[in-house]
Amino acid sequence: MASYYPEPTNIWESIEYSSLGTSIAESLWAFPTLETIHVIALVTVLGTIFVMDLRMLGVASVGRAISQISTDTLKWTWIGFIVAAITGTLLFTSKASTYMVNPYFLVKMGLIVAAGLNMLYFHFVTWKNVDQWDLTDTPTAAKVAAVLSLSFWIVVVFCGRAIGFTLGIYY
Amino acid sequence: MFDFLFAVTEWLRTTALLDFAFWITETPLSLFMVENFWMVPAAQVIHILAIAAAFGATLMLTLRTLGVSGAGSTIEETSARYVPWIWWGLLVIVISGLLMLTAEPLRNMINAVFWFKMIFLVVTILITLGFQKRIRAAAAGVGATWVAGGGTKTAAIAILVLWSLIMVCGRWIAYVPV
Repeated sequence: MASYYPEPTNIWESIEYSSLGTSIAESLWAFPTLETIHVIALVTVLGTIFVMDLRMLGVASVGRAISQISTDTLKWTWIGFIVAAITGTLLFTSKASTYMVNPYFLVKMGLIVAAGLNMLYFHFVTWKNVDQWDLTDTPTAAKVAAVLSLSFWIVVVFCGRAIGFTLGIYY
Repeated sequence: MFDFLFAVTEWLRTTALLDFAFWITETPLSLFMVENFWMVPAAQVIHILAIAAAFGATLMLTLRTLGVSGAGSTIEETSARYVPWIWWGLLVIVISGLLMLTAEPLRNMINAVFWFKMIFLVVTILITLGFQKRIRAAAAGVGATWVAGGGTKTAAIAILVLWSLIMVCGRWIAYVPV
């Protein structure tokens, strides 16, 4: 066990100085490799979400039933999200306390939660009577959910990039 | 691998690209990008969003060809929906990429990984053009039941692998020493 790390004073330092956190931080290739997988996963999440959101807005794929567009995309959105979440967690462990004082990181996490709640509400409430608007104009609730989803995810990407540019500023 | 990339970068340093890259750093656009803190991150955000749009559309078209998504839709419908997003997305990718290149010409142009990325990009565009033409021709008149042949499916997988390689290079441009 590496002794040159200081005694952790809080949970975030405990994560950062764990053998997992320090291994990722010390490795020449681990962080960039995880970041690369994170990028490929997140563009899969975003790309498939764009397809669904644009259908919900009635902007694209209007000739195809919204339930089919959901089937086309949702599986890939989830695969991408799980991979992005795992790689994101590993990236986090290597600099946990630095991320926890970074406002862009905190806003990013909050927005991902908000995007998740928005999706849950859409799928469990708005989606209930989808058979009534599967091939016709989508209801206002679906359009609102799409605008919220697009907004949340675009700002998530901005925050993700901003974190990389502000790491030395807050800590 | 790293030795090879390093050797290529060392060779790039001996070419006219070096003077060209230095010249770019003096241009008003480059100075504007560098002197405004948020310009480079903003270009990167646009770059990533456009990749998401183009890669997402590529994913939908290739997965339909592979028979694992888009069930019940024809290639004509799937192409009409996604092909424009691939090319308009690529246009935005290239424009935002050029802005990033202008901001940091040395880090990119004197960098083996950047040029491998460009080679992968050109190959991807050429294969995608051929692929889009081939699936439209092969599926014409067959309808939603069309199933792609082995070669076409291989091309679909190759396109996804190439996109991934482009993204791998994109991220590693920042990590290889130049």
